[in-house]
Amino acid sequence: MKVELIFQIAGIGILTSIFHIILKQAGKEEYSFIATLAGVAIALIMVIQLLAELLDQVKGVFFL
Amino acid sequence: MMEIFQVVGIGLTGAVLAVYVKESNREIAVLISLVTGLVLFLYALSKVGAVISILAELATRANINMFYLTVVLKIMGIAYIAEFGAQICRDAGEGSTATKIEFAAKILVMVLALPIIMALMESVLRLLP
Repeated sequence: MKVELIFQIAGIGILTSIFHIILKQAGKEEYSFIATLAGVAIALIMVIQLLAELLDQVKGVFFL
Repeated sequence: MMEIFQVVGIGLTGAVLAVYVKESNREIAVLISLVTGLVLFLYALSKVGAVISILAELATRANINMFYLTVVLKIMGIAYIAEFGAQICRDAGEGSTATKIEFAAKILVMVLALPIIMALMESVLRLLP
């Protein structure tokens, strides 16, 4: 069970929201958007690896 | 038997984290619920394997054609995967995408079931004079 992945992604989410607030306060609206986008992309890469593992396992179990 | 506590704990942790992150960052909340679902699904799937091997053994003992069992298992797999994806899409607020996933899954199941329907038709036609 990869429970730590849940915490990692929650951490990425909290960090990106903090970056968003800080960059907004500093008046860098465009960078805050890019920071959020980068956070989502990193989290998505981590999720997709797990998704591929799940699909492989389903393929094996159900003879798909 | 004690694994159910782990499952419920992971589910609750994922739900709390998703709700906490949702107000500041909706996309990440969707990803958290997706990962929680994936972890629980992977865990459940590791148990399903034993059940399916026993089913296959029973089918071979009962002299059932393995083709039919694999078709049924494939349909089960399609249904599980499609349901999972559709639920995630619906949680993310994309109800129309979820409906399309379910539609595609129904079509795929129908395509898989066609040989069985044809075999049934053949045997019915053979019974009729």
